Amino acid sequence: MAAFYTASTTATPPSLPKPYRPSSAAYLQSPPLKFNISSKITTTPSVFCTLTKQPMVSTEEVRPQAGFLQRPDSFGRFGKFGGKYVPETLMYALSELEDAFKSLSTDQEFQTELNGILRDYVGRETPLYFAERLTEHYRRPNGGGPHIYLKREDLNHTGAHKINNAVGQVLLAKRLGKKRIIAETGAGQHGVATATVCARFGLECIIYMGAQDMERQALNVFRMRLLGAEVRPVHSGTATLKDATSEAIRDWVTNVESTHYILGSVAGPHPYPMMVREFHACIGKETRKQSLEKWGGKPDVLVACVGGGSNAMGLFHEFVDDKDVRLIGVEAAGFGIESGKHAATLTKGEVGVLHGAMSYLLQDEDGQIVEPHSISAGLDYPGVGPEHSFLKDIGRAEYFNVTDEEALEAFKRVSRMEGIIPALETSHALAHLEKLCPTLPDGAKVVLNCSGRGDKDVHTAIKHLKL
Amino acid sequence: MASNPSNVFLQGGKFTEFGKPITLRKLFFSNPSVLPYNYRNFGAHISCSAIVEKLSPAAGQGELDSKSLTTRYLMTQKLPGQTEKPFSSTGKFGRFGGKFVPETLITCLSILEAELTLALHDTDFQEELATELRDYVGRESPLYYAKRLTDYYKNSEGKGPEIYLKREDLVHTGAHKINNAIAQAMLAKRIGRKSIVAATGAGQHGVATAAACAKLSLECTIFMGSIDIERQSSNVLHMKNLGAQVKAVDGSFKDAMSEAIRNWVGSLETRYFLSGTAVGPHPCPTMVREFQSIIGKETRKQAKEKWGGKPDVLLACVGSGSNALGMFHEFIGDEDVRLIGIEASHSASLSRGDVGVYHGTMSYLLQDEEGQIIGPHSIGVGLEYPGVSPELSFLKESGRAEFYTITDDEALDAYERLCRLEGIIPALEACHALAYLDKLCRTLDDGTKVVVNCSGRGDKDAAAVIMRKQDRLES
Repeated sequence: MAAFYTASTTATPPSLPKPYRPSSAAYLQSPPLKFNISSKITTTPSVFCTLTKQPMVSTEEVRPQAGFLQRPDSFGRFGKFGGKYVPETLMYALSELEDAFKSLSTDQEFQTELNGILRDYVGRETPLYFAERLTEHYRRPNGGGPHIYLKREDLNHTGAHKINNAVGQVLLAKRLGKKRIIAETGAGQHGVATATVCARFGLECIIYMGAQDMERQALNVFRMRLLGAEVRPVHSGTATLKDATSEAIRDWVTNVESTHYILGSVAGPHPYPMMVREFHACIGKETRKQSLEKWGGKPDVLVACVGGGSNAMGLFHEFVDDKDVRLIGVEAAGFGIESGKHAATLTKGEVGVLHGAMSYLLQDEDGQIVEPHSISAGLDYPGVGPEHSFLKDIGRAEYFNVTDEEALEAFKRVSRMEGIIPALETSHALAHLEKLCPTLPDGAKVVLNCSGRGDKDVHTAIKHLKL
Repeated sequence: MASNPSNVFLQGGKFTEFGKPITLRKLFFSNPSVLPYNYRNFGAHISCSAIVEKLSPAAGQGELDSKSLTTRYLMTQKLPGQTEKPFSSTGKFGRFGGKFVPETLITCLSILEAELTLALHDTDFQEELATELRDYVGRESPLYYAKRLTDYYKNSEGKGPEIYLKREDLVHTGAHKINNAIAQAMLAKRIGRKSIVAATGAGQHGVATAAACAKLSLECTIFMGSIDIERQSSNVLHMKNLGAQVKAVDGSFKDAMSEAIRNWVGSLETRYFLSGTAVGPHPCPTMVREFQSIIGKETRKQAKEKWGGKPDVLLACVGSGSNALGMFHEFIGDEDVRLIGIEASHSASLSRGDVGVYHGTMSYLLQDEEGQIIGPHSIGVGLEYPGVSPELSFLKESGRAEFYTITDDEALDAYERLCRLEGIIPALEACHALAYLDKLCRTLDDGTKVVVNCSGRGDKDAAAVIMRKQDRLES
């Protein structure tokens, strides 16, 4: 369910203050919304939020550089992306969440509890591992080449980075006095992470999962049930992740007082993109500390796969203000960009509103969501986090894509070279190294976020690789 | 080219000839007069003053003399960071242990023992191993206070022991097996072997070995019983993904082990047998225990940090005993720490077995009246071994450790309990230890610190648990 608000492509109405309008023209090339099939492209942004009591940030002089801007601003916007496109019933819940989050970030007791859980339960810090054989593989004939390091998020409890956010949000929910937790899941990893933390903290847990996904991921469904969660199938639409998300939002609207919605990625209405990013930011913080210990400097390039964008944001956030660090996100190209069966939102998508946030998304001419495809269920999302859209637009981060085949090759390569079976999602980032490494100078330090382990993907891989 | 022993010196933990490293193996095979059968005379040929000088800080006081260097050295060792613990070069723990192997293997095992000793004293090797354990395996694994489990076991007055889980399920590949696999694979590479052979039951050791071999670019062959291949198909897929060759053997783990040893004996020069269990001829039990003892060392350190003391009770499941020994070994000398090992009721070598020799070692094992091996069974496939580590047999006989049994159903209940209470899916093997808490907790005083070794994660067991649940519902 996307909340649609009418937008005008002409001048601003006099009663509203002027919306934020940075001066850079390149930033405004495409029209923000595509509800009307209009051939006219204007340079005026014409999206308005609902009025709030908070004053507008006057930013005419400010150039859209990450360092200068508050990410997100008080409206929950990253440039023109983000925001809170939700029904009125949810506005209070979102403000309450934001206030609680802000107060808890300075609460020592909460931070100590969270850090204790991350250390003893989740198993942080995760190592920054020098991938010797992979580095050797990319070594050039003259002996030079980049050095590849893997940030081992696959070693976390439940086997993916998802738990960082789940733990943070469930502690937040407990503080808010909520007894019921809901979540959506595609591949099942976020569902398992949510069910895990709910079991740990004794909260009721309901997971919405598309009926088609439930068939593909039967083992994850069983794991969620074992952990005490109720898994509700969603049959509407295409019965996949985006429909599960819509159903979860619907549930939340109905039960907003008693329920907290643990969103799995940096998508959704403000404050979720910010919250999820903050809970995952430990990845980047640890990387900074560990790279300083290991080679006395910062990474030169950060590479991560992008589905919704949570693991990438977790790694990038710490380094966004460090101009000398390149940020590279890798999306899923499925059967290939031209085939139309892919999930490369930032490459082929256009700006629109989905699940409460404005961001790039895969949509057709009528503004309907296009069903994405990727061999990896975790990247199979037609949208992307608004902050990624912003970073792409201002040129701070670069986004590429990788096909299913290339990802499977990388899966096999890294398993056999490093003895680490990466998740198929991570394999997309690993596959991009093939194109990236030849372009890098000798000794460049590349840190790749190994966002999850591939135990869940062995059957798929074996089928495709015919081992 | 035969090496002249008088040119061989010990430098930095490696024997060197003309400044170039030389392995003991080359030394032994190039000059028959220094074969291990005569190693008591070893010292006469080599410039021992250099060796004694280099080794004396670590080797104890006044125990060495140039004539009987190797024997004495190997008999009393002070391993780095530990108090002196004697272990004999025949590998006996009381009457258990030993080297009951064909003559062809004796040389090989002695070389292995010497290499192990050198490696344990080589600071470079230790540093490299510590780095791999930290960056590759993901150590240290946390010591986690299981609050909800503790509350579950509190009595009506709210009193009960405090339960901590040593999270070996969080390490790379999901079980403690990797601690040993990576260390032995590094040892094998150091010795110069290119090919590894191993046997696996549940598949965890196979996966750990395959991972370590992939990382160190060693060829890897894993033998697995056909029964186990069916039951643990996901682990088989993992091994194949990691580039290992999986060979099926008729039967179960014990048959796979026999086949692996047979395969190894056929090409001793080129292959290295990576044992995952703390059984087998000396030095295998000791080697596996040494590499797994990191678990106990970390537990001591973490217990000190958390509550400023030691654990009161250590609880671990026992198949062959690698994870149990890894946890217990550090605390054997601490009499106030209770050591409890839990076996599967139909695989309970220590509780129900008799002493005999199997796979090269003397230990308790499940045997019938004619001394034939009884096939064990457990829902926790990793516990299905008819024998047990000789060191554990020794601990049982000396009364230092206690051993009990748990049935399949009790283990399954514990599996579900930990899932629901702590959100941790434990391996069915570890569930046996967790199940014993039901009986143990009510006998313990308020505030007793119990540390359970959560030796692996249970994702691999989900399918088996589904099937058993369905069977239980139908019956």
